[in-house]
Amino acid sequence: MANPLADKYADRIQKHMSKYPDKRSAVMPLLYIAQEEYGWLSPDAIVQVAEICEMDPTQVKSIAGFYTMYRESPKGKYWLQVCTDLPCALKGADQFHHDLLAHLGIEEGGTTDDGMFTVEHVMCLAACDRAPMLQCNFGYVENLDMDKMKELLDKWRKEAEAYANAD
Amino acid sequence: MTHIILREKDVPNIRELDVYLANEGFDGLKKAVSMKPSEVIDEMKRSNLRGRGGAGFPTGIKWSFIPQSEPVKYVVVNADESETGTFKDRQIMENNPYQMIEGALICAYAIQATAVYIYLRGEFWDIAHDLDERIEAARAQNLVGDDILGSGYSCEVYTHLGAGAYICGEESALLNSLEGLLGQPRVRPPFPAQKGGGLYKEPTVVNNVETLANAPYILRVGGEKFAELGTQQSTGTKVICVSGHVNKPGNYELEMGKHTFRDLIFEMAGGIPDGKGIKAILPSGGSGPIVPATDEVLDTKLTYEDCQSIDTILGSASVMILDETVDITWAASKMTKFFKHESCGKCTPCREGTFWLDKVIDRILRGEGKRSDVELINNVAANMQGTTLCALGDFAANPILATIRHFPEDFYAHVDGDDEKAPVKAAGD
Amino acid sequence: MSDNMVKIIIDDVEYEVPAGMNVVDAAKWHASNDIPVFCYHPKMEPVGMCRMCLVEMGTLQRNPETGAVMTDEDGNPLVRWFPKLQTACTQVATDGMVFRTNTQAVVDARENVLEFLLTSHPLDCPICDKGGECPLQNLTMAHGPGESRMNFSDKMKLDKHVPLGDLIFLDEERCIQCGRCVRFQDELVGDDVLAFHERGRTLQIITNSDPGFDTYFSGNTTDICPVGALTTADFRFGARPWELTEVPSIDPHDAAGSNISLSVRLDRDFGGRAMIKRVMPRQNEYVNELWISDKARFGHHFTRSEDRLQKPVVDGKDSDWATAISTIAGLLEGADGDIAAIAGSGMSNEDLFALRSLVTANGGKRLGAWPTTHTGADLVAAVGVGVGTNLSDLGAGDAVLIVASDLEEEVPIWRLRLKGAHDRGAYVVVANARKTRMDDFASATPRYQAGKAAHWLDGIDKADPEVAKALKAAQNLVIVAGAEGLTLDGSRALMQSAANFLIDSGHYGKANNGLMSPLPGPNGMGLHYVGFTPEVTADIAQNPPKVLIVAQAEILSDDPYARAWLDKVETIISLNLFPDAVADMAAIALPIQSFAERDGTFTNGERRVQRFYTAQGPMGDALPAWQALSRISEHMGQGKAKASAAAVMVMMSNELPAFEGMRYRELSRTERQFPDISGDDMYYGGTAYQNKGGLGKVIPTTAEQGETPARADVSLPPVLEVGKGQFVVLPATRLYNLESTFRPSTLVHPRIMSPFVEVNAADAARLDINNGDVVEVKLPDVSVRVRASVNGGAPEGALVLPRHLTDDPTPMTVAVGEIAKV
Ligand SMILES: Cc1cc2nc3c(=O)[nH]c(=O)nc-3n(C[C@H](O)[C@H](O)[C@H](O)COP(=O)(O)O)c2cc1C
Ligand code: SF4
Ligand code: FES
Repeated sequence: MANPLADKYADRIQKHMSKYPDKRSAVMPLLYIAQEEYGWLSPDAIVQVAEICEMDPTQVKSIAGFYTMYRESPKGKYWLQVCTDLPCALKGADQFHHDLLAHLGIEEGGTTDDGMFTVEHVMCLAACDRAPMLQCNFGYVENLDMDKMKELLDKWRKEAEAYANAD
Repeated sequence: MTHIILREKDVPNIRELDVYLANEGFDGLKKAVSMKPSEVIDEMKRSNLRGRGGAGFPTGIKWSFIPQSEPVKYVVVNADESETGTFKDRQIMENNPYQMIEGALICAYAIQATAVYIYLRGEFWDIAHDLDERIEAARAQNLVGDDILGSGYSCEVYTHLGAGAYICGEESALLNSLEGLLGQPRVRPPFPAQKGGGLYKEPTVVNNVETLANAPYILRVGGEKFAELGTQQSTGTKVICVSGHVNKPGNYELEMGKHTFRDLIFEMAGGIPDGKGIKAILPSGGSGPIVPATDEVLDTKLTYEDCQSIDTILGSASVMILDETVDITWAASKMTKFFKHESCGKCTPCREGTFWLDKVIDRILRGEGKRSDVELINNVAANMQGTTLCALGDFAANPILATIRHFPEDFYAHVDGDDEKAPVKAAGD
Repeated sequence: MSDNMVKIIIDDVEYEVPAGMNVVDAAKWHASNDIPVFCYHPKMEPVGMCRMCLVEMGTLQRNPETGAVMTDEDGNPLVRWFPKLQTACTQVATDGMVFRTNTQAVVDARENVLEFLLTSHPLDCPICDKGGECPLQNLTMAHGPGESRMNFSDKMKLDKHVPLGDLIFLDEERCIQCGRCVRFQDELVGDDVLAFHERGRTLQIITNSDPGFDTYFSGNTTDICPVGALTTADFRFGARPWELTEVPSIDPHDAAGSNISLSVRLDRDFGGRAMIKRVMPRQNEYVNELWISDKARFGHHFTRSEDRLQKPVVDGKDSDWATAISTIAGLLEGADGDIAAIAGSGMSNEDLFALRSLVTANGGKRLGAWPTTHTGADLVAAVGVGVGTNLSDLGAGDAVLIVASDLEEEVPIWRLRLKGAHDRGAYVVVANARKTRMDDFASATPRYQAGKAAHWLDGIDKADPEVAKALKAAQNLVIVAGAEGLTLDGSRALMQSAANFLIDSGHYGKANNGLMSPLPGPNGMGLHYVGFTPEVTADIAQNPPKVLIVAQAEILSDDPYARAWLDKVETIISLNLFPDAVADMAAIALPIQSFAERDGTFTNGERRVQRFYTAQGPMGDALPAWQALSRISEHMGQGKAKASAAAVMVMMSNELPAFEGMRYRELSRTERQFPDISGDDMYYGGTAYQNKGGLGKVIPTTAEQGETPARADVSLPPVLEVGKGQFVVLPATRLYNLESTFRPSTLVHPRIMSPFVEVNAADAARLDINNGDVVEVKLPDVSVRVRASVNGGAPEGALVLPRHLTDDPTPMTVAVGEIAKV
């Protein structure tokens, strides 16, 4: 069976594999690569990672399900994870989270109709001194308020459009 | 005071290798490789440095547990930093990364490890990639890899990203996660330092980022000199993460035993916003017991032993400040949600207890609880304590036990009446 | 267990226990103290998950100088107690450990753990299959809180009917996340197709494999699941455990002779007769431990299939026993002694003896065994594994050679147990012409050319000197020699080579050393001991007799070449469960009872004679074969028919030396076995049943009886001549197939492979055959149409053609043939 991940990311996969004495240890970095490729960990992606790591797909699925940063269902282009844990909440993160959802017209965990934004609340991200904050895909955005947030949303939308048009 | 850990406050750009090298960078490692490994461990023992990851276990003693006869050994840097309110390791890795790398290599040399793995929480994606580059830069200077500094000792340094799981900060769960197994804690013994208990079953030292970042300094100035800082039981400095209701949240590195909570909150962190009163302090994130901000507490010094005397812990020193407006029941619920979300599910009391506590606290907060519900959660939390596979279960009990102990009125304010709900029959009845 | 004993104190009493023994096991075995457990299972590594086994633990305080135990004024030893309770399951016995299992702290801890477990549990015991034999239910009664403080409406609502495969269902609400099922598959089976998904309270068992939970051992997870979370598709909602009677029996499907328990109930669906509702494992640590294969568990439906032969058939018409018996008597009398018999291994020892008696009393000499694939049972009798052998004893320093057998498909329990040997450090060699599943649990996997197993083993010193050296040097050595890819001559040569190897290296005549063979069916060794051999069958085929009795041998469905010689037999008398093609040809066809309907014994591949007991009501007029046969003898004035199988055994033990001294009473003897799963505490070992039917008795090898073992020259069969465009066709066994004793288990049909032939990728490319293409495999006088499977399973130049997947018989032994795309 063809394994597009193994072919396309051979170098990166090799780099990860070389860190560990066994292939199984590379499952977490490889899940990130699969997620990058497909946007989420589709059943096919799981099987491909399983093949590369010489694991049973059940075990790979199990790993994928344990951690919050792996997406087992498709998400928006921008996955906004708002920290609403105690320190951030003391700084108004709950309200911010609420306002953000209202602004985008979605519910917690939902995705905007255009598939652009998914909003989820998460536990402490180790940026408590810069609350409210969120993680957008893999980057932190800190010291937020709704005005700043709206600007950012516009910016990301434009970026996405520009990217789409460039194709 | 000059900083030992947060040196970027004294030396701008110390994150760059040339700046770091120009400011005594890697002198500790140079010193170490000129010594016998056992001497390095002795030096660490003399420093009396205690682990900064939470439990405060003496670092030199931990290193000395490694059986030297085993050919393969590992060092794992715990950079999972997921405790609520903790954000010091991130700052260290962003601003003074080489010091952690150097510290890890000193540890590696001391136990003659073959490799160092830095396990970062998944959200530290950027930091991990930055570290990868820095490790390569260090390799170019013969500081990492083969024949380090011409000493004949070789060691690789790798990063590994988690993917969002607080439990992977617990050392045995971390090792499982690194091995591509489910990130749940292991049965101990064997402990990580023992054959069979560590990474890939080999003897392994697991240390926190801040702990290791102390090692270069200790090697440079000597363990005894280091131990002059702080108190007898709490030597050196500690990075304190201050968050919540303060004007200047952030990391403050303080010599242990020289400052009180009052100094920390009102002098360094700029006091409570809007001139409000302070109600409570969580000295060690969500997992340590809460304390009311009485004068006794505020005048307590920041050391392991002083915190113990007020029935809490210094832990990882993530100090959260709650002002007078905070409903402690709400705060307890926040913390309970955290532990419910992060319970790995492996052992019964933690998996079921966190779920159950959350249900009842929610009910209380909705105004649908009874007085007996407060007793119920107190009892459920007590039943979790001391019965779980790892400390997460104990941590999860604290936000309930300590909050009810100190702030019962905050709970009872949400409930009225005491008519028991009809008990549900158990299986087999 | 270790010989090194240590002293530990449990509830103030000192016990001597083996050092390193798990404390839960030690308490149970030595102190009869049942520490409650959910996640701990004595066959698996402890994980300390459920926290049910919490106890107080401490160490004796010793005087640092003298090492003497310190005592208080009253002379009681001083104990340094741990501040927290400890899980007994994660502790192993070391000298000076002290435990308390009955203090208030322990009682409270147990109650708390149960209360926690019940917070999520649906409490649907009245409709749960496990109700009545549920560890959670039992432990709740014994240690539970009495009532739950959890609000019922707050409970999790989860999926209650999740199929994990065709055979096993998961009820997510009932699962208590003990992980036993996951660990069983991973540790013991080596197929990690189950895992936990998500975390915290949402932790759930999943399978994401393709196919799903599809291993030959899946049913065992339902036994060890401490709640009703895992149930079999076979038994789900079938009956309540307390309505069932447990009848000891033996798995009738393979040479392991797994001890099973037939759970029966008088059932409306079976005309009010006793009916098998399910098959459960019965503990025999020498044979199958606590496990059975799914074939044993789900393959019982043939016993009450409506297709069973239910009346004697005389000249093609339904008849009665009296007519049938007198007709047969007449035929035998008219045969002038030109009588022969061929028996299959579904026949019990008693059946075989009755058949032997009938044939010999009437002048017949030839007793043939079916099928004619495997031989060498005589060598197993000579240098087989010694008395006291237990495959669980094999470990570091020992070696196992498995040659010419696909053990997973032929005797899955042996494969399971030998995987364990490998895990314990034994040097396991799997030699075959092709890759088999057992390769995954092997230290070395030498390959020989298709058809040349005997050549390989005979010349192993040259072919694989390293392997040979390691095998010879092993402390204990067991050789499992099959017959895959061999002719009958080849099988003889391989068995003799194996015997020679063992004799030369001295690995015979003692426990845990010697020869085993996956002879087909449950009683291959019984055939040998009663005097039936495949060589005689070959002779019968060459020189057909006047009257041939064919007993439980489906010759025509097995062998495409049999009709040619069977046609030459004047009169066939058939005894079988089913009206098969032989019965169709027969002058008389007698309906006989399956293993479930009567008493009897089988002799397994380790030469253990084991009893099975009457469990199920009879089908139609069927009789036990021994009874039908001895009635014929009686009718012919050749002795009075015996009243019971036990009486036949007495006769047999007087006449056949191998059975000397065997008595049913002795065969039903049991002993305390480790782990001790007896009693009410189903939470410890699962619902595998205590052995109340007997552990059986092993027939000693002739080597153990002082006979010089039969080292003999190997006569290697001629090498197959494979012409251009031709292939060696290797018949293979599939555990799940369409044989008459399995086909009625329709539940398992989705897992029976559709007919296929494995083709090597290089060969396939040359012939332009793609995976899934329909191909024709042509052999002399026979051809079959199947799908090609190009999956790396077949070695180059060979075709692997599984038997019994189609109704058309395919060759039983290795042959040369061709393949073409259709
Ligand atoms: C639930 C749990 C979470 C933990 N999280 C962390 C963490 O994020 N970072 C850390 O350094 N130690 C954490 N620890 C402590 C580690 O298990 C371990 O004690 C520590 O890494 C040892 O390092 P040290 O001796 O340098 O303190 C955690 C422990 C538990 C029980
Ligand atoms: S399904 Fe049964 S055996 Fe498997 S984890 Fe759940 S309770 Fe345990
Ligand atoms: S924790 Fe010991 S039996 Fe489960």
